[in-house]
Amino acid sequence: MVTTEAAAQPILQLRAIEKVFDQFAAVDRITLDIQEGEFFTIVGPSGSGKTTMVRMLVGMDKPTRGDILLRGRRINDVPANRRPTCMVFQSLALFPHRTVGQNIEFPLKIRGVDPALRKKRALELLAQLRLPDHYYNKAVTQCSGGERQRVALARALAFDPEILFFDEPLSALDYKLRKVLEKELKDIHRQTGKTFVYITHSLEEAMVMSDRIGVMNRGRFVQVGTPNEIYGSPTTRFVSEFMGEVNILDVTVGPDGTATDDVTGARYLVPASAGAGPCSLVIRPESLRFVAGPGQAQNVVTGTVYNEYLLGSRVQYQIRVGEKQVLLLENLRDQRYEGDLDSPVTAGWDTGDSMIFPKGLLQ
Amino acid sequence: MNEIRRPARWLYGTLIALVLLFVYLPMMTLVMASFSRSKFFKFPIPQFATNWYADVFASLSIRSFFWTSLVIALLVATIATVLAFFGALAFARYRWAGRKLYQKILLLPILFPQAVLGLALLLWFSAIGVTPSWQAAVFAHLVWIAPITTLVIAIQVYAFDPAMEEAAVDLGATRWQTLKEVTLPILTPGIVSGFLSAFLLSWANFPLSMFSTGADQTIPEWISAKIQSGYTPQVPAVGTLTMLAAVIVMALGGFAAWLHARRRAGLA
Repeated sequence: MVTTEAAAQPILQLRAIEKVFDQFAAVDRITLDIQEGEFFTIVGPSGSGKTTMVRMLVGMDKPTRGDILLRGRRINDVPANRRPTCMVFQSLALFPHRTVGQNIEFPLKIRGVDPALRKKRALELLAQLRLPDHYYNKAVTQCSGGERQRVALARALAFDPEILFFDEPLSALDYKLRKVLEKELKDIHRQTGKTFVYITHSLEEAMVMSDRIGVMNRGRFVQVGTPNEIYGSPTTRFVSEFMGEVNILDVTVGPDGTATDDVTGARYLVPASAGAGPCSLVIRPESLRFVAGPGQAQNVVTGTVYNEYLLGSRVQYQIRVGEKQVLLLENLRDQRYEGDLDSPVTAGWDTGDSMIFPKGLLQ
Repeated sequence: MNEIRRPARWLYGTLIALVLLFVYLPMMTLVMASFSRSKFFKFPIPQFATNWYADVFASLSIRSFFWTSLVIALLVATIATVLAFFGALAFARYRWAGRKLYQKILLLPILFPQAVLGLALLLWFSAIGVTPSWQAAVFAHLVWIAPITTLVIAIQVYAFDPAMEEAAVDLGATRWQTLKEVTLPILTPGIVSGFLSAFLLSWANFPLSMFSTGADQTIPEWISAKIQSGYTPQVPAVGTLTMLAAVIVMALGGFAAWLHARRRAGLA
């Protein structure tokens, strides 16, 4: 039975780790297990503590309290250069005085690997990352943003880490390239089978790549789950907002379980999860749809279409309800609204597609 | 859009030519004076000759002044560069209590009149019982030159992304390996320019040497002494050679920078 236990042991365990700067807990008693081979992403806004956390995990900072265990062994006091893990930095931190090949070979050179073997491995990695062989002698300063990204990843893979950390490496790239590299990274994860721990402020990016996501805010995890769980059943308003544009209605839930809109006074059916009292009702734009009239959806509002935004395959509408309420409705492009702007419309949603979070709860 | 209009271009050209003339004409006079056959400087020069150069090369005393100057400059440049390298890291990289104060105090000697600094050093030497000599001059030069070298290297340190050192450590390098493989090579251009500027500043320095060399003499001191008594065209000849040496050092530095840039661009 010992063997099955060992096999099930998480590769990385955080036990109530805490990092305090001047009485401010940047990371506040986080406990988490990361499984072997997992692609785990930590998502959070700037200042949420995610960078502080990863710096402790790679060994560049020490936790104030708590333990970090790598395969069951406490590594708090093991410095970064003695840990079998490494990181792809936000700035990539490529060495500008070295060629692409020398950059990739750096960890092998440090270990005293024979130059011929080093070169062989560097060329393998170039091929794996789909960079041409002749890049071996190219100066890193001459590489494009995407190429530099691949060189940094190759250098980290040359180290052959047990866990590979990423500190927002894609944040400086343009949208299109970022989308390409997200997928590439997920493919590399599959190819190598290594444990990846990735940090980003973009939940959208996290969705594409991760097996599991931990959403961080103010030094703590607000929710940890699969991308599906995070998207489909966020446990707090913070998580639901983090994914992208959402409609948030301030409502008051009565003892009968129905909600009254604080702005318009309209009444809605809401999921049963909330208790009575002031709540936030969250409806994704894609959960809202145009309806012919009441009865075609469980909840309806009437308003006017103020504007239309084309988003490629999808199209969004700004709907104004009365003077104070603005809702976003999103359709596929082939379901475009045919009427005129400013003409009255009815929009609706089904109760099961909305989410409700009590106010005052820690976000 | 950024093109300069024609009349303005004319004006610019004239201005630049005037500035160059203003800077280089005196030096040209010096060079010409060194090639004059006459012992006294007359203009225009009646007859050209190279005999003063022959005298300079034959003179044992000038040769010894040259060696004194060279040894002082090399020692000063080497010591200043080592001090400045670590000083610049402290100056520009690491955050520590008192860093701002250190930056200001370090730079202060640069602004002192050198004659005052030289006098202060002379008094200090006699207070602690050090006889002025070329060794004392090395120390005197360092007081003024090391801060300047620190500034020169600090500029390079400011442009250095500390994540590169962290990345090296993260990839398994020890502190020493990080210094050798990452920090030093990346800071090399700054270190080289720091060394060269230290060398040239020491090589050409007169006021600090005057107070500190004692019985030993440097080339600038010899020039000054000769002008006060016993002028011969040997003086401009030595001056010309000194300038030439500085130009050669600069050219070597430029060449090193060019090689470095070429290597970095991956052409080598």
